[in-house]
Amino acid sequence: MTICKIKTLKNNNRMSTQELLQTIYKKIDEGQSEFEIEACGQHDIGGAVKAKSDDKTLLFKITNPGQRVGAMAMDGVKIVVEGSAPADVGWLNSGAEIVVKGDAGDTAAHCAAGGKVFIGGRVGTRSGALMKHDPRFEPPQFWVLKNTGSFSFEFMGGGIAVICGYDCDNLTSVLGNRSCVGMVGGVVYVRGNVEGLANCVEKLPLDKLDKDFLKSGMPEFLQEIEKTELEEELLDFSKWSKILPLPKELKEKKQPVKDFIKNEWFKEGLFGDLVEDDGKVYGLAETGDARLRKPEWDKDLCVACDLCLKNCPQNAIKKDLTKYISESEKCIGCGICAAVCPRQAWKMKNC
Amino acid sequence: MAAVKINELHKSDLPWILEYDESKCIQCGKCTAVCSFNAIKPAVEIRKKSNSITEKNKTERVLVIKQNISLDNYCRGCGMCANVCPNGAIRLIRNKDDKYSVAYRANKADSFKKGGRSNLNTEGRTLDKIKIGRISQMTDPSLDAQRHTFELRTPFGRVLKADKLNFDVKDGKIVETTQLPPNRWIYPIIFGDMSIGAVSWRMWEAMAIATAYLNEVMGIPIRMCTGEGGIPTKLLKSRYVKYMILQIASGHFGWNRIIKAMPDMTEDPAGILIKIGQGAKPGDGGLLLASKVARYVQEIRGVPRADLLSPPTHQGLYSIEESVQKMFLSMNAAFKFKVPVAIKVAASVTSVPVYNNLLRDPYNIVGGFFLDGLAAGTGAAHEISLNHTGHPITSKLRDCYLTAVKQGRQGEIPLFAGGGLGQTGSFAADAFKLICLGANGVFTGRMLLEIAGCVGSDTGKCNACNTGLCPAGIAAQNDNLVKRLDVDKVAQNLVNYILATDIELKKLMAPIGCSSLPIGRSDALITVDKHISTRLDIQYAC
Repeated sequence: MTICKIKTLKNNNRMSTQELLQTIYKKIDEGQSEFEIEACGQHDIGGAVKAKSDDKTLLFKITNPGQRVGAMAMDGVKIVVEGSAPADVGWLNSGAEIVVKGDAGDTAAHCAAGGKVFIGGRVGTRSGALMKHDPRFEPPQFWVLKNTGSFSFEFMGGGIAVICGYDCDNLTSVLGNRSCVGMVGGVVYVRGNVEGLANCVEKLPLDKLDKDFLKSGMPEFLQEIEKTELEEELLDFSKWSKILPLPKELKEKKQPVKDFIKNEWFKEGLFGDLVEDDGKVYGLAETGDARLRKPEWDKDLCVACDLCLKNCPQNAIKKDLTKYISESEKCIGCGICAAVCPRQAWKMKNC
Repeated sequence: MAAVKINELHKSDLPWILEYDESKCIQCGKCTAVCSFNAIKPAVEIRKKSNSITEKNKTERVLVIKQNISLDNYCRGCGMCANVCPNGAIRLIRNKDDKYSVAYRANKADSFKKGGRSNLNTEGRTLDKIKIGRISQMTDPSLDAQRHTFELRTPFGRVLKADKLNFDVKDGKIVETTQLPPNRWIYPIIFGDMSIGAVSWRMWEAMAIATAYLNEVMGIPIRMCTGEGGIPTKLLKSRYVKYMILQIASGHFGWNRIIKAMPDMTEDPAGILIKIGQGAKPGDGGLLLASKVARYVQEIRGVPRADLLSPPTHQGLYSIEESVQKMFLSMNAAFKFKVPVAIKVAASVTSVPVYNNLLRDPYNIVGGFFLDGLAAGTGAAHEISLNHTGHPITSKLRDCYLTAVKQGRQGEIPLFAGGGLGQTGSFAADAFKLICLGANGVFTGRMLLEIAGCVGSDTGKCNACNTGLCPAGIAAQNDNLVKRLDVDKVAQNLVNYILATDIELKKLMAPIGCSSLPIGRSDALITVDKHISTRLDIQYAC
């Protein structure tokens, strides 16, 4: 079967998105599997369709598409955009291979959960946000030759993004500002400067598996976007790093305050030269010097009835021949000795 | 046994009545040992042994726990005894027929003083009748409070309008022609001004640690106002002074050491706050009763152990203009016009003219206007002031903000509001609503006390901060009470509370679609009260 060519602008009349898509559906039903579409800003081209026969790849070659090229695109679909494409390229892509040879707009590969999205230029803000990986299928891949806008990879839950940072040496951040906010899964490989990352992720050097992945994927990407001459430059790993979500325990980087006090605060305390304070924390009902009150015994009033000694809940009172002694290391200063004494020989004093 | 006379103080006159279950008591003595007010005591009761008429005179002596019936050593309801009792044998019942305050005045010929806050505010609070009603869904992008990044900082210091900025272009670059008024971007919550003396050294240190930690470890640029009771020289000479707003009130306590430390200070302080008045007791100066003037307080303030009464106003200030000239100018000059200088007044019927006057300050040396509402707390006050003077914060803040808006000058002198925030348990919501009504930020002391373990309440529990006998060691100046306070734990809890508040502020910013502080965004607010709607100029909803 020959390639189906569709021109969407005839005699200054533009086909609506609905007309174009319905034409495509009809052709697919008739067994058509290759399209060349001269679009005029029509949306959703290449999305949610599949070739009639399972063994055929459904191929779209598109120029000048509208938003959401390859949105909700399926396995067995390949979409190639000559030039650039606006927002939402590959939104919810579940398996197609989508190539944009120029730049892509905002939210490229947003929510992509399968397939591959290859961008031969830059992508806009919130690209790669909410990418996911269902473990029963291959993870989604999202390759970008240059850089992303800010807020990219927000809430990313899985998949692999590769941002090659080509021709971006003048940028302070290849990922814009505030990227990877809320990222919980997947990996972002990035070449070049990165600043303003969310604090829930960490930037790490590549290991051997990472390098093997990039080595094996890079030729296909560059071939699709027709930049094979860059392979050597991009596979120089000196400027690459990867971004991973922090493990939960590191995300809550709450160093206990007591460590801060130990390591940073004044050694003898802020009031060390003003008050005597050994830092001990008293409980309620302490003994010794930490009591609020203590009993004092007056031998002239004592009739040696032993009531104090018998009633002391702490067994703190000792009788020593002619005198009674309250042992301060046992006494909590409750005042029972003073209360039971028939002659007020014990009196409570403030400590 | 002595006769009971009608004109003596009786148990039924006291504000709290001890309920003691003898059958559960093991006479361990802990309850009496922990009572910082010496309000309960072990006592021997004489009981009849039997009801038999033939054994009529047989009695026995029984050990029990009783409360003191005294104008001085009386129960404040703090509940430490109940906390420490192993068997739940003791608890306190609020006496709704209490005559204590009458008896106090009738016997002492003196006005009654207390700490804490007014216990008369039983009517509903304005802030609780306001909700955040403008929820952004399809009108503008809502945000994810947990995961998006938010800018919560607020300016502190004089803000100049664009056409007043002293900029010039020189060799293609923007240069300042004259020094701009100092301005700092700070967290919108300020640890309220509680002096060393009003609170214990441990409490004050815990607040300072929490401030330093939040800044240096958590990256939250919170500031602490020192209160006016002196500042340890160590702190002044350390890097941490940059998180501290130094206060000067009418007593000028501790400024001697601040001035002496100036040449050795390596950092500028965060700001200066001139305290003219406070919300809890407007028209009154600071009050620190002699019982709290511990040795180190005497040293740092340069005074003997005596009741310390700051004058109700700054002596030598007779007009707003003069206060601008003297206090603002001198305080600006003290730090070479590099530190924002703000003023704190009690919210009052007259706040708007004062704010208006400051807005016209031609020297650009007024860096902030702090308004303190009547639900604020204090270390000590005459009860009459605490209960009957003052002005609610919400409408006065709004008045000040709107008067600036009418002149197109909102934000030029940042407004900070405080006084009773968190009273009903929702500090972040209170802060947020005041910010939407026009506050650049809020300040709080009460929340810090509550976080630290204050056992007091707005309905008369404890409120004995004036005595120096704070059972939690927060407002105490008795060594053994102060040492009940665990500095590490309090600092950690303060930090945690601010981190929680930070999340909660974002939970309110996100639905209204604001990633930066919604100062003056009163369109976000609704109220189910028609009067509040009219008075505050916010939408009425029902």
